[in-house]
Amino acid sequence: MSTQKRWIVCSVGIVAFFVVLLSITYMASMPDSADSERYLSIPIEVSGAANRVAGIYLNTRLFDTLIEILVFSVAVLGVRYYLSHSPQISLPSLSESAVVRTAAGILGPLALLLSVYFATFGHISPGGGFAAGVIAASAVLYVAIAQGMQATEARLSPQRIAAAEKGILLFLFLWILLPLAFGDAPLTELLPPGTPGKLLSAGSILPYNLLIGIKVFFGAWLIIAAFAQHRGDL
Amino acid sequence: MATIVSFVLLGIGILALVLRRDLVIKLLALGLINASSILFLVSIGNRPGGRAPIQFPGETAVLVDPLPQALVLSAIVVNFAILALALVFVMILVERYHTTDAQRIEQEMSRETDEEETPCL
Repeated sequence: MSTQKRWIVCSVGIVAFFVVLLSITYMASMPDSADSERYLSIPIEVSGAANRVAGIYLNTRLFDTLIEILVFSVAVLGVRYYLSHSPQISLPSLSESAVVRTAAGILGPLALLLSVYFATFGHISPGGGFAAGVIAASAVLYVAIAQGMQATEARLSPQRIAAAEKGILLFLFLWILLPLAFGDAPLTELLPPGTPGKLLSAGSILPYNLLIGIKVFFGAWLIIAAFAQHRGDL
Repeated sequence: MATIVSFVLLGIGILALVLRRDLVIKLLALGLINASSILFLVSIGNRPGGRAPIQFPGETAVLVDPLPQALVLSAIVVNFAILALALVFVMILVERYHTTDAQRIEQEMSRETDEEETPCL
């Protein structure tokens, strides 16, 4: 049997094994809904967030979310470090057509507006900080396509943005430790939950969404800028 | 149905990851595996007639399970972070060995190691 055939047989075997294993696990024990019921049984007045998903990841399981933000920051750091330490390449610049540049210039501000809406209303409607941050980074990418990378980098300097990104991370961690100053356990909710469905409700979830939105925006922009700098252009 | 599709995507992803030599295709396969796990998590949270998990005071509508959706968020962010980092490593390898073929890169690396170990005569 040739090496390639052996590889194919092994691969099909591995895939079949995983699929059968997962199917059996899934069929034998349908996901236990007790955990979910526990979360759903908590009245929304506790977190104050009409969006149940935001109520889980920014209130009940906030610790997970903070670690997730940390993972994202480490990845941004890694991308910037390795790209700045590898030799720069200069590929031929590919200028977009006038149609693409004009459309990107119009869509950029609209996407930015949408990201602000997602971050601000994330606790009462679909959305949230992570989605908002990625949309904002896409919006700035549109602006970069329309106006050029150098002009955009002059406004959003990667050095300053990197410092601000780390500052927000530090602020988030200080925020969760702040209850210690009042004699409470870390992660204790500091702001009142308010009336679910209102804009100013859900305690700290609104500021968390805004901060996470800005942080993810900065992080994603740093990754885009690092790749663009390494390549010489967008 | 979505669960079955997620298993199919997982199978395609694992096959591409193992069989294809191109590092960029391998990264795409990783993305596909991640998409399959997201689809799986969302599908197991489904409930017949369930609405999006946004609930206002006094409402008693059936909602889909919000827990898998909250977990999926982590999966998306971590996948984005891993893919960005992996892409950088692939770029470094490509700049050094001028190929995206994993087998050729391995051969080049082992040749380099052999050359380093060969004593100077």
